[in-house]
Amino acid sequence: MKGNLLKIILLLLFALFSLGVTTTIGVAEVTWGSAFKIVANRIPLIGSFITADWPSTWETIILQMRLPRVTLGFLVGASLSIAGASFQGLLRNPLADPYTIGVSSGAALGATIALFLQTTLGFTFQPGIPFFAFLGASIALFFIYNLARVGRVVPVTTLLLAGVVVSSFLSAVISLLMLLAGEHIRGIFFWLVGGLSLRTWSHVFLVLPYVIIGSAVIFFWSRDLNVILLGEEAAANLGIDVERVKKIVLVAASLITGAVVSVSGMIGFVGLIIPHGVRMIVGPDHRVLIPTSALVGGIYLIWIDSLARIIMAPVEVPVGIITAFLGAPFFIYLLRSKRKDFHF
Amino acid sequence: MTVNIKVHNLSFQYHAEPILKGISMEVEKGDILGIIGPNGSGKSTLLKNINALLRPMEGTVMLEGKDLLEMNRQEIARYMAVVPQDTSVGFNFNAYEIVMMGRVPHLDRFQKEGKRDRQIVREAMELTSSWSFKNRPITELSGGERQRVILARALAQESQVILLDEPTAFLDISYQTEIFDLVKKLNQERNLTVIAVLHDLNLASQYCHHLLLLKEGKIYRMGTPREVITTSNIREVYGTRVIVGRHPLSGTPYVSLLPGINEKNGGKKSNRVHVIGGGGSASPLLKLLYSLGHQVSVGVINAGDSDWETARELGVPCVEEVPFSSLSKERHQDNLKMIEEAELVIMANVPFGRGNLKNLEAGLHALDRGIPLLVYKGNDISSRDYTGGKAVKLYLRLKEKGAREVYEEEELMEVLE
Repeated sequence: MKGNLLKIILLLLFALFSLGVTTTIGVAEVTWGSAFKIVANRIPLIGSFITADWPSTWETIILQMRLPRVTLGFLVGASLSIAGASFQGLLRNPLADPYTIGVSSGAALGATIALFLQTTLGFTFQPGIPFFAFLGASIALFFIYNLARVGRVVPVTTLLLAGVVVSSFLSAVISLLMLLAGEHIRGIFFWLVGGLSLRTWSHVFLVLPYVIIGSAVIFFWSRDLNVILLGEEAAANLGIDVERVKKIVLVAASLITGAVVSVSGMIGFVGLIIPHGVRMIVGPDHRVLIPTSALVGGIYLIWIDSLARIIMAPVEVPVGIITAFLGAPFFIYLLRSKRKDFHF
Repeated sequence: MTVNIKVHNLSFQYHAEPILKGISMEVEKGDILGIIGPNGSGKSTLLKNINALLRPMEGTVMLEGKDLLEMNRQEIARYMAVVPQDTSVGFNFNAYEIVMMGRVPHLDRFQKEGKRDRQIVREAMELTSSWSFKNRPITELSGGERQRVILARALAQESQVILLDEPTAFLDISYQTEIFDLVKKLNQERNLTVIAVLHDLNLASQYCHHLLLLKEGKIYRMGTPREVITTSNIREVYGTRVIVGRHPLSGTPYVSLLPGINEKNGGKKSNRVHVIGGGGSASPLLKLLYSLGHQVSVGVINAGDSDWETARELGVPCVEEVPFSSLSKERHQDNLKMIEEAELVIMANVPFGRGNLKNLEAGLHALDRGIPLLVYKGNDISSRDYTGGKAVKLYLRLKEKGAREVYEEEELMEVLE
């Protein structure tokens, strides 16, 4: 436990370092020093000692474009990892994540409907998009869970199958909506493939409450998740009301998934790879796994997003494409190694 | 003693299939109760009802006077712990973390494990000799070690009742005794109440104070192992013939299986055979006839001799006289009655003294009634005549009247066919 606390502190420092460094990465050449000074200038007390010796466009780029984007990237990566870790623990299945079990698709459809209504019919409910996404995620989850359930257990195979089936169906609905959207198709498309470009502070503040509430709930229920890993019956014998915990955690995980999908689209595989990799290092205890995954997931996504910004510069690659390129082989590796039985 | 668990008129069904029908029982504090019965008799279902994992359709389970269904899971978990059959797990918690989970029922959601919890976990692990591998991942432990860890977790729950569901079903016999010795020790030292579903009748007989024998969802018998594990109960409930002897050290009932013999497939002819025995002469014959599936009776024998022991083990009806006494007229008459019901009478290699001379007369009685009499593996009668010639005389009359001497097992089999 003490060793893990040290790991978390180190990760926290590395996260701050990453936030700093990735803020300076981009098409516009803003120097390290200037970027640092621009941020420091905004901090009360310290700010007064720094004189502005940079072009004002730099300030806009750093404070209004890069910083919110990096912050949002961190939030998204952290949220997807937390959701992935909770799905995996709850379903005792390392192949579960918001993407593979189809919850993301539900969120995407919810958000697409909101976007569709907004762009074509002119309704405005910007703050409502996360809510729509959450609603979509919850409905999808309900269907997938009941489709996959065989008696009282949810086997890996049926869960993945149900995820595929529901995802395909939902994708078809999304495609249809995109067709109907006509000239607005490009907007929906870019949102859908998962990207963080042109995100502002308003996006950050939009998802923040959802993410904080959902993550806090999951963190406070992480001991229950540990016990549920022993099996549902064993957990009941240790005083856990399994069905109740399941509902609480599933809803919380869907809430944060819905929120982040609504601002960043479909960024796949983060919620799968990160908790799995972190578990290999810190072990299955969710009280450590959840915060660690959040930090690692956040760090991972902001670096990947930096890569997305520069890899084909000046064209930006949507970050969802890169995470899929990296994640798919890992997923295949997991499926193959299932023969040896998973060890959580 | 106070009543710990009280089950009243409990019925349970899966779908339309009734599994448990009107179970009523009481388990006292400090008892070790074994639940036995054939597959599908409802053993595990009963355990799950006692544990509120299943809700009974009818009836109640009371814990110290409180209705189980009105308690939440956490309260129940403080009261009873469960050691399941299969504890294999697919994740890498170490042994210590697993045992610490036993503290979960005592912690609030926002409460961290404290010094007291660590103390309790340590004691539980030391008691079960699992402290030495506390840092090893549970996935790397052997079956026996893992079961000790799970037992430690149950102890860390500080419950008063431990439910065991065939806890040693997948373990080698050395681990079986290890685990049950431990359970017994805990029962004695901490006055824990133990309720165990068991498959192995000998394990149940050796370790349990009381047994509950289930047949098709109903209590067939409840009592001490001696009262419950008898040849006739086993035959009635399991539909199989066994020999119930005594464990050589503890004297508890010991069940021996009879391979290849089963009442259900006993297509061969079954005869009513009465054996005249005494002093241990009839034991091999009784076992042979019993294992062939014949309906055997024996008489007159003295209580406590080895023929009598055998008859009891086999659950064979017998006419018994008090130890070391001459046969009374009454017992002799009983013996004659039994002989009259038999199709064949076999006399064993019995030594005759003044006390049991009537057994030879019983042989005559059989022949007079036209019931064939065999003398099986009988030595020369004069060598076992301790009556000064009376027995020899009677024996010769038996032979005159048609008693047949048989020496080989095959010959005996032919006659029986």
